[in-house]
Amino acid sequence: MRAIMIQIVTVVGALLAGLTLAIVINKARREMSEAIDRRRRALLEPAVFEYLGAASSKPLSGYLPKRLSRRDRRLVEEILLAAARIVKGDTRDRITAALEGHGSVQGAIRSLRSRRRFKRADSAEDLGLMRSREAVEPLVALMNDPEPEVRIRAARALGIIRGTTSIRPLVRALADPSRWSAIRVAEILINVGAEAVDELLAAYETLPRHARISALDVLGRIRSLRAIGLMKRCLEDPDPDLRARAAHGLGLIGDSGTAPDLIKALADREWPVRAMAAKALGRIGNPAAIPSLREAMKDRQWWVRANSGEALRGLGQAGREALIDIPFARHMAVSQLEEGRIIEQSVSDLTSADPERRAAAIRFIDRVTASARVDERTRQAAEATQESVRRALGDVLKTPGPGDRGRP
Amino acid sequence: MTWMSILVAIVLAFNRWVIYYFGLLNGVYLLLFLVSFFEVMRFVRRTFFSDYEQILKSEMTWPISIIVPAFNEARTIVETVRSLLAVNYGQFEVVVVNDGSTDSTLERLVETFELKRTDRIYRRTLPTGPVRGIYASLDHPSLIVVDKEWSGKAGALNTGINVSRYPLFCSVDADSIIEENALLRVVKPFMEHPQEMVAAGGIVRIVNGCEVREGRVVRIGLPRKSLPVFQVVEYLRAFLGGRIGWSSLRSLLIISGAFGLYRKSDVIAVGGYDGSSETEDLELVLKLHEHLRRSGRKYRIVFVPDPVCWTEVPSTFRVLARQRNRWHRGLLQSLWRHKRMMLNPDHGVIGMLALPYFLLFETLGPFVEILGYVMVALSYFLGLLNVDFFVLFMILAVFFGVFLSVAAVLLEEISFRRYPGWEHLALLVLAGVLENFGYRQVLALFKVKAFYDFLRRRKAWGRMEREGFRAAPERPGAA
Repeated sequence: MRAIMIQIVTVVGALLAGLTLAIVINKARREMSEAIDRRRRALLEPAVFEYLGAASSKPLSGYLPKRLSRRDRRLVEEILLAAARIVKGDTRDRITAALEGHGSVQGAIRSLRSRRRFKRADSAEDLGLMRSREAVEPLVALMNDPEPEVRIRAARALGIIRGTTSIRPLVRALADPSRWSAIRVAEILINVGAEAVDELLAAYETLPRHARISALDVLGRIRSLRAIGLMKRCLEDPDPDLRARAAHGLGLIGDSGTAPDLIKALADREWPVRAMAAKALGRIGNPAAIPSLREAMKDRQWWVRANSGEALRGLGQAGREALIDIPFARHMAVSQLEEGRIIEQSVSDLTSADPERRAAAIRFIDRVTASARVDERTRQAAEATQESVRRALGDVLKTPGPGDRGRP
Repeated sequence: MTWMSILVAIVLAFNRWVIYYFGLLNGVYLLLFLVSFFEVMRFVRRTFFSDYEQILKSEMTWPISIIVPAFNEARTIVETVRSLLAVNYGQFEVVVVNDGSTDSTLERLVETFELKRTDRIYRRTLPTGPVRGIYASLDHPSLIVVDKEWSGKAGALNTGINVSRYPLFCSVDADSIIEENALLRVVKPFMEHPQEMVAAGGIVRIVNGCEVREGRVVRIGLPRKSLPVFQVVEYLRAFLGGRIGWSSLRSLLIISGAFGLYRKSDVIAVGGYDGSSETEDLELVLKLHEHLRRSGRKYRIVFVPDPVCWTEVPSTFRVLARQRNRWHRGLLQSLWRHKRMMLNPDHGVIGMLALPYFLLFETLGPFVEILGYVMVALSYFLGLLNVDFFVLFMILAVFFGVFLSVAAVLLEEISFRRYPGWEHLALLVLAGVLENFGYRQVLALFKVKAFYDFLRRRKAWGRMEREGFRAAPERPGAA
């Protein structure tokens, strides 16, 4: 037993010593490597930046030392990729040319065939930064990779490189079963912008349901007027998610001419569609929607009321008037006025030199207090620094508001 | 059979049993460490800077309500709120709940952020204590301060949930600082698995010894006192060596109250935080597991190792004793409340592995350890002690203890490297060795005492006495 115990202690002790040694060696190796990198980088960076700033057609190799080690080649690539994240225009093109000349593009394309998925993902990410057209075809092929993580890097790279050849597989990738991948592809397409609209419209009918939802969202966020027809059609779709997304998209596009369709959607049988329609009408800012939004404040669903209130708040004076006069959902209405700092503005108008403005402010606060939410006004009256504000608010609060008239 | 022979038989049986227990315990620890090691490596390799960039820019990123319960936090609350308002994240709000503080917590907030009372409307979805007022700031539209009568941390968090607007909420302790990119990192699993994700926790690191400026940790350092340094190693072991492992086994039971992100609808579905629990964070996670398992829904509760929350730890044994007493009582309480999950195959790995682990090792471990020392003395007096074997066993126990601590330091060193200097590394390894001589035994004693208090149903809030963050010296040239 003793012998076994000694053996176990020795093994654990050796493991412990090995572990400690591993930490020390790892740290020493890393720090040494970083120190060498820093030294070499200080030498290579000025040469790379000189190349980037130059107007001549001399290749990057002409600026660098004659013999480059593997470390140097890696550092040059790192410097170029770091610069690629920041610069634009001609300098950006020079980076691509340098990376092509340096062999980095070819190296990254070769790495796309690696058995290690992280290596494939890393290379795809780098190819996006390199923006080389040579990479389009291999990246399109990579969109069929079994790993979602790799597919999304390829999609991102294609989104950066752009061009029709790159966009088509991206639109198809909206159908990716991984929701996170689809979200990221949608973001990529949004960044591509107007160039993606035609491909999206052409592919829409062929996409599965979840991809259609993403497509509508992308089209809305690109704010393409060409998508309005499709969005209007989708407001009639049997799928409520598609209807809601279409309403949201129309709001993002912001074309005032779509207000009648959205007003109709305010009466949809599904509350998410009604809520999105209310939000969209607020975004569009068409005053014709005020009566319908006012009606929507009666909705059973909190979100529909909240979005309608917010929409009315954003619809100028008429919208605010509608919010004050609403006989239902008064707390929501007053809360909207308060969150929009409209009540506060009226309180500060009480000290305005303009008598009309003062009178309007008194009328406004008078009507707000009729909603019975007078606590905050009472506090404001007590705390106001100016005597005129305290007096005006005090008067309003003492006299019953229009809504209270006739109450016992 | 004499009393002496019975005693001898008991001592011998215990000693034999302890060897098996020791082997099993360290085997489980080793296994957890191995799982954690591979998980950390996988995590580091699949972390792409561009993902966070995209999460930051995307309109599809979940908006988050950060809820900060505060009770008598006048000393640190302003810095905490400042750091929260400066987080690198798209859409978020900060909801500070002043839980009936008797110091100037509210006044400091009102004064610093020029708060005004507002009639904000909210749904009282979870039952909470009376709210005295809600304050908003014109300069900081994403800041809401709720002033309420005291009802405890759970009540304050539930109030925050009621007032919050967004579908995810992040609970942050008022004495903690979350790093600038912490939300971007902790929300990533929610972006990757939006249907399944329910909760995610980040790593909690120790701020004692670090320099803080304007609510940011600007220089990372180790505490000067030995007690907090031991806790640094202990936290590294618990988070990097334990929680990562449990998380990858899909049986994470603890998301630290100092920093956790939750899907609001699921938390509301289980009735929110439980005010009667000593450790509302553990209780909430267990309730979520039980509810979601029973509903048959596919879900995830995960630990993400790189969003960092910095928090202050006790620097005296008196405060540490109170803190650990509460933690352990909370653990016992939750294990008791959810006993039907224990060894229940319907609850999968949680029922069959995680909960038995907590019962067998976390709850019984301290007893075995303390009893072990008693038995050694008894064996010696009874002439049963094989000194050679005992010495070897003790060396092995210390080696294993040090091994796990050093392994956690190794994980830190190859992954996140928050403690950059050689002196940090040396001190951490040294603390990993020294904590085995006194610190761990004291912790075991605290836990035994907590068990006794639990049985007597004695309650004591493990109130933390704060020293406040160590301010960084002014920048040269600063006015």
